[in-house]
Amino acid sequence: MGDDIAFWWGYLTNGKHLSWYASVHYTLIAALLGGTCALFFGLGGAGLRRSRFAPFRLIGAGYINMVRGIPDVLFFLFFPLAFEQLVELIISQSACPPDVVATNAGTWPPCTAANWFLSSTEYLILAGVSLGIVYGAFTANVIAGAMNAVPMGQLEAGRAFGLTERQVFWRIHVRQMWVYALPGLSNCWLLLIKSTSLLSLLQIVDIVRWADRLGAPNFSRAAGLVHGDWRWGYYLALLLFFILLTFLSEKAFAALTRWAGKGMTLGSAAG
Amino acid sequence: MKKLLIAAAAALFALSSAASAQTIRIGTEGAYAPWNFVNDSGQLAGLDIDVMNELCKRAGLECTVIQTAWDTIIPNLNAGNYDVIAAGMSITDERRQSIDFTADYSPPEASAFMMQGGTTIDFNNIKGLRIGTQGGTIQSAYAEENLADGNTLISFDTADAALADLSAGNIDVILADHSYIMETVAGSGGALKNDGPRIPIGDGVGAGVRKADTELRDKLDTALAAAKADGTIDGLIKKWFPERGEGPFYPH
Repeated sequence: MGDDIAFWWGYLTNGKHLSWYASVHYTLIAALLGGTCALFFGLGGAGLRRSRFAPFRLIGAGYINMVRGIPDVLFFLFFPLAFEQLVELIISQSACPPDVVATNAGTWPPCTAANWFLSSTEYLILAGVSLGIVYGAFTANVIAGAMNAVPMGQLEAGRAFGLTERQVFWRIHVRQMWVYALPGLSNCWLLLIKSTSLLSLLQIVDIVRWADRLGAPNFSRAAGLVHGDWRWGYYLALLLFFILLTFLSEKAFAALTRWAGKGMTLGSAAG
Repeated sequence: MKKLLIAAAAALFALSSAASAQTIRIGTEGAYAPWNFVNDSGQLAGLDIDVMNELCKRAGLECTVIQTAWDTIIPNLNAGNYDVIAAGMSITDERRQSIDFTADYSPPEASAFMMQGGTTIDFNNIKGLRIGTQGGTIQSAYAEENLADGNTLISFDTADAALADLSAGNIDVILADHSYIMETVAGSGGALKNDGPRIPIGDGVGAGVRKADTELRDKLDTALAAAKADGTIDGLIKKWFPERGEGPFYPH
């Protein structure tokens, strides 16, 4: 019994497993970066959507409607690749001599000097931004709806008190908007967290990829403990991890909702 | 925002290219034990890694090994993401069209079949089988050409994934390098076995380099010839592949 515990402790704390635990940082960074970007894109998108200037409204509506419809996996593959090639294209304008470009016709990048080597760090940033763009569209929709949900009477009351338009917008409209937006935003956040499991598509060795590797049957004595197919156990651990993240997120959103509802009488959401 | 992003990316680009000017980057899959894999302490290890470390030491090169996906390993070399492929990659004419190879650091060996311990398969008449290979390998090319008729071919991203499906009974056999199969069978304690013909394909395993990098290839080749001649390479093969016998694999 004691030997068993020592063995499993040793196995679960070997370098491979420690790397697995450490790879959680990719998931968390991608989620936080993605969430922050999504909030900015969401506020921007909602602002455009509600703009008085028709072309802006069109851009906002186009962003919200198109990006919401694109599968996140597809966008995840498309955006980083397109961005990488765009950067390489820009750099190749100055870095590549014309004769090299001519001999390399049909290959990418046009010359080796223009190649942009993407390590996990760069991919992680691109992944966060991709998540931000995708979930920013949902966030924009939620925020635009929440802006509409604030009762006109509240804004009129603000004006009647002599507040300027700017003050009415920030102190009354945006401030009250959060109460209506938070339930929708918490949905977006949970969806975003789920999407972080796609990181391995971008060559990032994240928790999902590690679980795959650690659980795969190993019959090579050189590669460590010989075992059969243990993937279910590792996937189960991931399920529990994501349930824990969901639980913590719910707690955080409950606290935010309490904050947003402070001093407001409307709705039970104000708690 | 977009301009800012492009500027940030350009800065990153400048940083990463400056840092990588002198070191040779070696791309490996890290999922094909004992050729290349992540060991228990989380480091890349295996014959490919040991051979490259030896060659870099002899050639006076500073090398760093990075892990990359197998299916895009050749395009990523040509794009410049790393400078050398060391991933148990067999030298073939088809691959020679897009990249160059050093001389082989593991001699030509046959490919072989692996199946669950209790099963018997009639190899005189290979029909109705579900045959698993890793995509982009010489075995998958061979299977497409010779075994597609009457069998179901299934291509996997990694050798691990193929092995998992074999253990689960989703496929009947795996076709892979003989050395890999013998190590895996030996470690499986009877759960897996090797049977059937050995199929001679591939010209040995070499390191892949871009066609333009003749200088790097020559440096590696010189170091490799010396390492073969004094028995270092033989020692490494014996270390990682005890099932391949005593050799000698290269005259020394």
